[in-house]
Amino acid sequence: MMRFLSASGARDQNRSTRPAERAEQARRVPRERRNQSGHAMLELAVCAGVMVSFLAGTFQFGYTFYIYNQLVTAVGNGGRYAAMRTYRSATQQDVERGASAIRNLVVYGDSQPSADVQPIIPNLKPEQVDVRWIANGEGKPVAVDVSIREYTVDGVFRAFTFAGRPSVEFPYVGRYAAGEREP
Amino acid sequence: MSVSMFLLLAVMGMAFDLGRVYIARNEAQVFTDAAAMTAANQLDGTAAGIGRAKAAVAQLPMRWNLGTQEFTGIIVEFGPDGTKWETDPKSASGVTYVRVSAPANNLEITFLRAVGGPTSFTVPARSVAASNPVRLTE
Repeated sequence: MMRFLSASGARDQNRSTRPAERAEQARRVPRERRNQSGHAMLELAVCAGVMVSFLAGTFQFGYTFYIYNQLVTAVGNGGRYAAMRTYRSATQQDVERGASAIRNLVVYGDSQPSADVQPIIPNLKPEQVDVRWIANGEGKPVAVDVSIREYTVDGVFRAFTFAGRPSVEFPYVGRYAAGEREP
Repeated sequence: MSVSMFLLLAVMGMAFDLGRVYIARNEAQVFTDAAAMTAANQLDGTAAGIGRAKAAVAQLPMRWNLGTQEFTGIIVEFGPDGTKWETDPKSASGVTYVRVSAPANNLEITFLRAVGGPTSFTVPARSVAASNPVRLTE
């Protein structure tokens, strides 16, 4: 029992002397060495600033390129679809409905999307896709241009806007049905 | 510090340079697809058709490198069956296939060169199309 008490007392004694020991140790450390910890913090602050901005830039450009690549793919698919789709032009409404189907294919990957479908590329809307038919003198389409009118890639740190690109032009090789209506 | 910088540049190079390489490859492939279909659409079994096919490919307004550069060095070849190719076929009759290659898309590398990577990267693309009816075959 006495031994236990004395051991406990010794432990308490040690605890009470620790701050004093630390202060003593700090007094023993040379001033130059104490200053080094300040240098390390300064270096960390400078390096962290540079590295975080590098990593932020890497993320920003990587994400922007990823979205642009998806836009190129979407516009290319839209161009191919437009090139082979039957061109119905009984009325101006039919031409517009055909263009709307092409825009839907670029944005949703489906010419007739369901109501709850999400765009393949975040925040891209059919209104942001331009479909321009190039016709000969008789009004028959010979080529089709599909492009992105204006799209802003909303990265975390900065936004990039693409206007008029990506853009593709495909020859029209589909069936020309001047008197037909869109179903 | 130098090890971290090396790794940082390598990661930046992967994101920035390889991102651009993939975009250029995609742009070049979409271009050659459109060019091959455009050329095949002009073929009619005559020498004039072959001339029109070459001219139509040269007039395509598509660009690469984030839509900033024109395609150069485009090769348009023709063939009767998709196995033998000639840029100027002696006889135009029976020519129904066209192959378009865009081999000269040389992309400058920005970050990967700092960690021992290449200074430039060539991104080629090739497409084959056939007339009657016009369709992409490759």
